[in-house]
Amino acid sequence: MPHLPALALSGLVKHFGRPAVDGLNLTVARGELYALLGPNGAGKTTTLRMVAGLLAPDAGQIQVLGIDMAADPVSAKRQIAYLPDDPMLYGKLKPVEYLEFVAGLWGIDAGAAEPRARELLAWLDLEKHAHELTEGFSRGMKQKLALAGALIHAPQLLILDEPLTGLDAGAARQVKDLLLDHVAKGGTVILTTHILEVAERLAQRIGIIQHGRLIAEGTLEQLRETAPGATLEELFLRLTGSA
Amino acid sequence: MARPGTAVWLLRHELRLFWFSLASGKAGAPRRPRWRVIGSGLLVWLGLHGAVFALLDAIGPTGGLPPRQFVIALTAILLATFLFMLSSALKRSVETLFDRGDMDLLLSSPLPSRSIFTVKLAGMAFGVAALYLFFLAPFAHVGLLLGQLRWLAVYPLLFALAVLAASSAMLLTLGLVRLLGARRTRVVAQVVGALTGAFLFLLTQAGNLMAHGDGPAPPAMARVIASLQSIAPGSLLFLPARAALGDGAAVAVIGVLGMVTGLLTVRSTHRFFVRGLQQAAGSARVPGRVGPVRYRFERSLLQVVVLKEWRLVWRDPHLVSQILLQLLYLLPLCLVVFRDNALQLPVVAGGLTMLCGSLGASLSWIILLAEDAPDLLQSSPARAGSVRAAKLAASVLPVFALVALPLAWLVWRAPLAGLLAAITVAGAVLSTAMVNLWTGRPAARGEFKNRGQRSVTTRLLELAGLLSWSALAWLLQRIAEAPVGLALAAGLGAAAAIALGTLPLAWLLRHRVR
Repeated sequence: MPHLPALALSGLVKHFGRPAVDGLNLTVARGELYALLGPNGAGKTTTLRMVAGLLAPDAGQIQVLGIDMAADPVSAKRQIAYLPDDPMLYGKLKPVEYLEFVAGLWGIDAGAAEPRARELLAWLDLEKHAHELTEGFSRGMKQKLALAGALIHAPQLLILDEPLTGLDAGAARQVKDLLLDHVAKGGTVILTTHILEVAERLAQRIGIIQHGRLIAEGTLEQLRETAPGATLEELFLRLTGSA
Repeated sequence: MARPGTAVWLLRHELRLFWFSLASGKAGAPRRPRWRVIGSGLLVWLGLHGAVFALLDAIGPTGGLPPRQFVIALTAILLATFLFMLSSALKRSVETLFDRGDMDLLLSSPLPSRSIFTVKLAGMAFGVAALYLFFLAPFAHVGLLLGQLRWLAVYPLLFALAVLAASSAMLLTLGLVRLLGARRTRVVAQVVGALTGAFLFLLTQAGNLMAHGDGPAPPAMARVIASLQSIAPGSLLFLPARAALGDGAAVAVIGVLGMVTGLLTVRSTHRFFVRGLQQAAGSARVPGRVGPVRYRFERSLLQVVVLKEWRLVWRDPHLVSQILLQLLYLLPLCLVVFRDNALQLPVVAGGLTMLCGSLGASLSWIILLAEDAPDLLQSSPARAGSVRAAKLAASVLPVFALVALPLAWLVWRAPLAGLLAAITVAGAVLSTAMVNLWTGRPAARGEFKNRGQRSVTTRLLELAGLLSWSALAWLLQRIAEAPVGLALAAGLGAAAAIALGTLPLAWLLRHRVR
């Protein structure tokens, strides 16, 4: 069903004493790279964790490629890969062992998983560290391995929370190339970032969230229509009232 | 007030940090003191003073050295104390070198490395002595009150022993760094530390293991004490005991020995300590071995989960050393099974059940509750039940594999007894695993040693299961051997009721682990 959006959120609500996400409506098309921006505590991570199936919403609906997350979480999760800002790794496993474990969780056929693992490790320059435990890896290497784990099952929807934080220029470039390649192949990427230049350069559409609600959304040009000539940073500060 | 930047100032800072970690319950916790903890500790301490007062008042001031047997027994107790201190000091020296804490901040400051090392060593010694001071300082205080001044020797003796233990531990750790390199040192020092704590148990069992023939072997410790009696009373071996009993010369010798050892340790190793720290900083990075990478993606969910869990446990030397300690206690029991012609079946069955259940409890806590990446599992499409079942298998299979040989031997020697032991072992292992699965709370692996504090209900149910299955094992063997009276039959019924009742109770109290 190619006409269905990659992600559709309607009336999404989550409270932690106070509302963290407050009636959020959001639609991301297939093959789109969408950047979700917002100040600290705006509800970005809570939203992504609900989409990944890690948190149950108090109200509202999440549809992943037309699959209702509440009704059929297993099918929905098969389409998703979630990469939090703190990589979900096991320090005492080696990179290939980690990828084997992730492939096992997603039930990937060995015939598909092995070439994919080889390709990802080579692309992310992790092959030469294949015999090392990940506990000795740098932040960038950990992030790249976690990304390889996220991509091993070729997800339709890739959800990344601050994927470039703490990466050096080389590692950041590799990750950005991988995301663009994923989108070029028809995949969808939703990412949050505090580095506005990344959103400006990579994202096809940008959503700005504050107090759990979407306060602005569109392409960079559409957002600029409200303030001609402004940079994304200026727009962001003005819209969130941080200026 | 100490001048900022001096060793005394740094020592004060170190002691403040120690106090915060003590008062707030654990290291790294918020620094706000938990007044309930402090209040309870003070009450217990005052109670100890009362008990000691009654004891010393009853004994009265005794002149001269007490009987020789007492000095020998005291020597054994002090040896045990020193070994426990050494074990604790080894743990602290590894933490200082490898977990680093504030070491990067201190080493980047203009403080001389010698001062930093001195303070760290003093902090280690104080930390090691604190527990023993808590229990033994009341003797000094009450002794002072009653005019029995010899008890004041407790303070210098404990501090001297603590400095000796801290210096030995630091020298051993740094020696291992020089000999084996930083990465291997961490593993070896942790294992040595754990084994040092268990040394006395092994010593007590050594006689039993080496004994031949059918007759019961005399307790090893009794033989050690008997052999100590042949040593001259003036021997240096008894110096610590004489110091503990207030012999001024002995106190002076032990005190000077501790001080000199500490000073020599600082003087000879403070530079290497800094080098050791620098080596330790990069030790987490294991150099890759050369060779082709092996890809094995054909495994099922059960296989990948089990393999991952075993790898995580096996590659964590600290955890392994803690788990191996339990196996160490299992070893003498296994040798008894193989050695003796007249098997003590009830003891063997009860012991095996207790130890296997205990090992199963440890593994199930680590594997079921201390998951490093719970979000990865939860965000995957793998069904929670399947993952839990795989983790359960990963936690009980190693125990069954380890106990298979002793049980097979037992079944061969005494089929009915072996079969009954197999049932109770399986019951204890599965019971503790299910209790953890249903009632345990997720935690970090580092909390393994303090897991009981995190979930008291789980620990109580675990203990109830362990004790009842062990009692059941013992009673079943007694009943299988010969007819028993009403009391034993009632005991059997009660043990069976608790053993079988623990699981439904745990299920009623369950909450989702994932």
